[in-house]
Amino acid sequence: MSDANALLEFEDVHQSYGEEKVLRGIDFEMERGDVEVVIGPSGSGKSTMLRCVNRLTEIDSGTIYLDGDPVTTPETDVNALRRRVGMVFQDFNLFAHRTALGNVTLGLREVLGHSKEEARAEAMSQLERVGLANQADSYPAELSGGQKQRVGIARALAMDPELMLFDEPTSALDPELIGEVLRVMRDLADDGMTMLCVTHEMGFAQEAASTISFLDEGSVVERGPPEQLFEAPEHERTGEFLERLTSLHGGQHG
Amino acid sequence: MSPALAPDVVLAAAAGNVDPGVVLQAGDWEFVYRNRRFLLYGAGVTVLLTLTSVVLGLLAGLPAGIVEVYGSGPVAAAVNRAGVLLRGTPLLVILAFTFFVNPINVGAFEAATLGLGLRSAAYQSQIFRGAIQSVGQGQMEAARSVGMSQFEAIRHVVVPQALRRSIPGFQNEFTIVLKDTSVAFFIGLAELLTRGFNLFTQPGQSTSVLEVILAVSAVYFVLTVLTNQGLELLGRRFAIPGTGGER
Amino acid sequence: MSAETADEPGGSATTRGTVGVELSRRPLFYAVLGPFWAWLVVRWVYDWVVVPGTNVTSRETFFPTQPFVSAGEVLRETAAPPPLAGLLDWFAGGLDFIAFGIEALPQLAAGAWVTIVLTVVSILAGLVLAVPLSVARVYGNRVTRYPALAATELIRGTPLLAQLFVLYFGLGLTQYVRVIPGVGVGVLPDTAVMVALIGFTINSAAYQSEYIRSALLSVDSGQLTAGRAIGLSKVEAIRHVVLPQGLRFAIPGWSNELVYLIKYSSLASFITVRELFFRAEAIGNDTYLYVQIYTVAALFYIALVVSASAFMSYVEDRVAIPGLGTKGRR
Repeated sequence: MSDANALLEFEDVHQSYGEEKVLRGIDFEMERGDVEVVIGPSGSGKSTMLRCVNRLTEIDSGTIYLDGDPVTTPETDVNALRRRVGMVFQDFNLFAHRTALGNVTLGLREVLGHSKEEARAEAMSQLERVGLANQADSYPAELSGGQKQRVGIARALAMDPELMLFDEPTSALDPELIGEVLRVMRDLADDGMTMLCVTHEMGFAQEAASTISFLDEGSVVERGPPEQLFEAPEHERTGEFLERLTSLHGGQHG
Repeated sequence: MSPALAPDVVLAAAAGNVDPGVVLQAGDWEFVYRNRRFLLYGAGVTVLLTLTSVVLGLLAGLPAGIVEVYGSGPVAAAVNRAGVLLRGTPLLVILAFTFFVNPINVGAFEAATLGLGLRSAAYQSQIFRGAIQSVGQGQMEAARSVGMSQFEAIRHVVVPQALRRSIPGFQNEFTIVLKDTSVAFFIGLAELLTRGFNLFTQPGQSTSVLEVILAVSAVYFVLTVLTNQGLELLGRRFAIPGTGGER
Repeated sequence: MSAETADEPGGSATTRGTVGVELSRRPLFYAVLGPFWAWLVVRWVYDWVVVPGTNVTSRETFFPTQPFVSAGEVLRETAAPPPLAGLLDWFAGGLDFIAFGIEALPQLAAGAWVTIVLTVVSILAGLVLAVPLSVARVYGNRVTRYPALAATELIRGTPLLAQLFVLYFGLGLTQYVRVIPGVGVGVLPDTAVMVALIGFTINSAAYQSEYIRSALLSVDSGQLTAGRAIGLSKVEAIRHVVLPQGLRFAIPGWSNELVYLIKYSSLASFITVRELFFRAEAIGNDTYLYVQIYTVAALFYIALVVSASAFMSYVEDRVAIPGLGTKGRR
């Protein structure tokens, strides 16, 4: 059964990697426009949880619903699902053989079937949105890390997704480049995009998140608004983890 | 060597009767020069045969490499086995099959192309397999996450990058095939080495053997160098900017 | 085995390519290869020691062919409805093939001996030449580097068959080789084989020097520096520090080279060497059963190639240093 308002819903989701249990019965819901940040120690299953949404990783049991439709059944059209869900990767994964513009137009042309001119116009507007219109003809190898990630965001946005997944989008960036990416993400959140982010950037979490989930060893330990987790966490583990994290990553990044 | 191909000079060599005193004479070089068109025709056949074989190898080898990486278990295994068989069999035996053993009467050039092409396909599949595997999982994931099917992802994202990474291996394979065309001597194809052999086994030309073979070898060497340089230039032209492939 | 390419970008990669046979402890391989080598060795010993002097073409096989021939006849004569009859004929053909293969074995075994001698001697002799050649190119000065480079490029840039022709027809080496004592006596190689050995050795040395050169370049330059720092001379440092590491990186290249020599030893048949391919061709010309004999020959070569790959895998595992990949850099 799924909640009619929820855009994304996890229902008792379990996932294992071979013998190892990675996700132990995840339950939660996100509504349209929510910005959910998932935090937790490495190995807690955060990335796996994200990848289960667009089925880059397959779950073992339970159901995931997107806007009321179960998407983890054998009959689901996986490619259609992925048109509705955009993903931004920690390692950018830009198509190395195409320019920034080419990275964005590829999906528009081959998956959505746009004409060359339509795709170009749409792609340019997405690149403008992330502030990279002047780098449209550059190749990934010629771009900085922050620029690459912004192209990655533009590429995902071009598909006009209902939900955006961010898998540690700034973890592979040099500190001075993190800010430009977070700025784009904040703008996206302000524009009302539904976002599920795995990140260590506590500044972003405090400012932009509607809910923060703390994941540890495959279960959601605590979930609530930023004020709750940062100021009055209900569980000890949550407080300990956040303390460690804010001493390393906390504060503003431009 | 079959008895039919045993003119005097061959028997002389077998008996060890080559006179060292007259090795490398000016008159013999002149003989080579006079017959340059005869030899260069052979060089032309060599070049053409190389091209047809490499292309055949590409047409069969690229899909084979893709199937070996992305195909389902039994299919990928079957393709791999076929490749092992082709790579483990001498080219000479492959040519024996394509020329002597086929039901339809194919000409020497076609048989040579088929034999060299199959061999090249088996090796090219390994080049492409390695290149595809080196492209990395992340590219495939990014393509799939945008909604592309596996086939579209392979076609638009993986293969274009894999092809560029295959260039060094491909350059190497090209020159291997170029030199291997000499094995078509076995089926009497009028390529460069065979032409050379026909030239120095003419009656009365037993002193020019060394000059002819050296000249022929020089032509092969020039062809090899030109091919390498040409492919190198081609590789640079298609390199992805920023990856250091271009200079 | 990996597809071996040199580390330079835009590669002057000059490899022979790989067979790509991954050999783990697959019981099937050993179940087939074990008896194959056992038979081959027994056959050789029998022909040289037990009954020496028999002409190759008149040697008798160990295995009976009659059962297969009779079985084939029985299958052919069995009356059956059309689809089944076709299948029976096909099986009969298979049995005839086995009988034919068995008959061919003694001659092929004699040829295989020459093939193996050509391969093993050439690769070892080639190695002896290749190590100084590659050291000259990597660590030498202008005097040693350019001649080594020229020689290597010339050999690698021309076909092996042309090189054999130069030695056999062009220079007539047989007359020089003839005077070496022991040539052609008993089971030792005859003059044509010696010429072929020279040709393969030179060719293999050129290619091996390239593998070794790239392997030496893969060794961190700090190793040589450290060796000099403890007082070793340049030659000693190369010998005791760089080469032991570098040679391990070259193992994949050697696998390729070994397989290459096994296959291209067949070219020696053009200079009258009576190796495996020559024997197969002779049987083909006698019986006109070309499909059958070349199939048997192909199987024979594949058995040799797979054995060689297995052997090199074993070597690679044995000399592996923990943490030091034998597959070079990447």
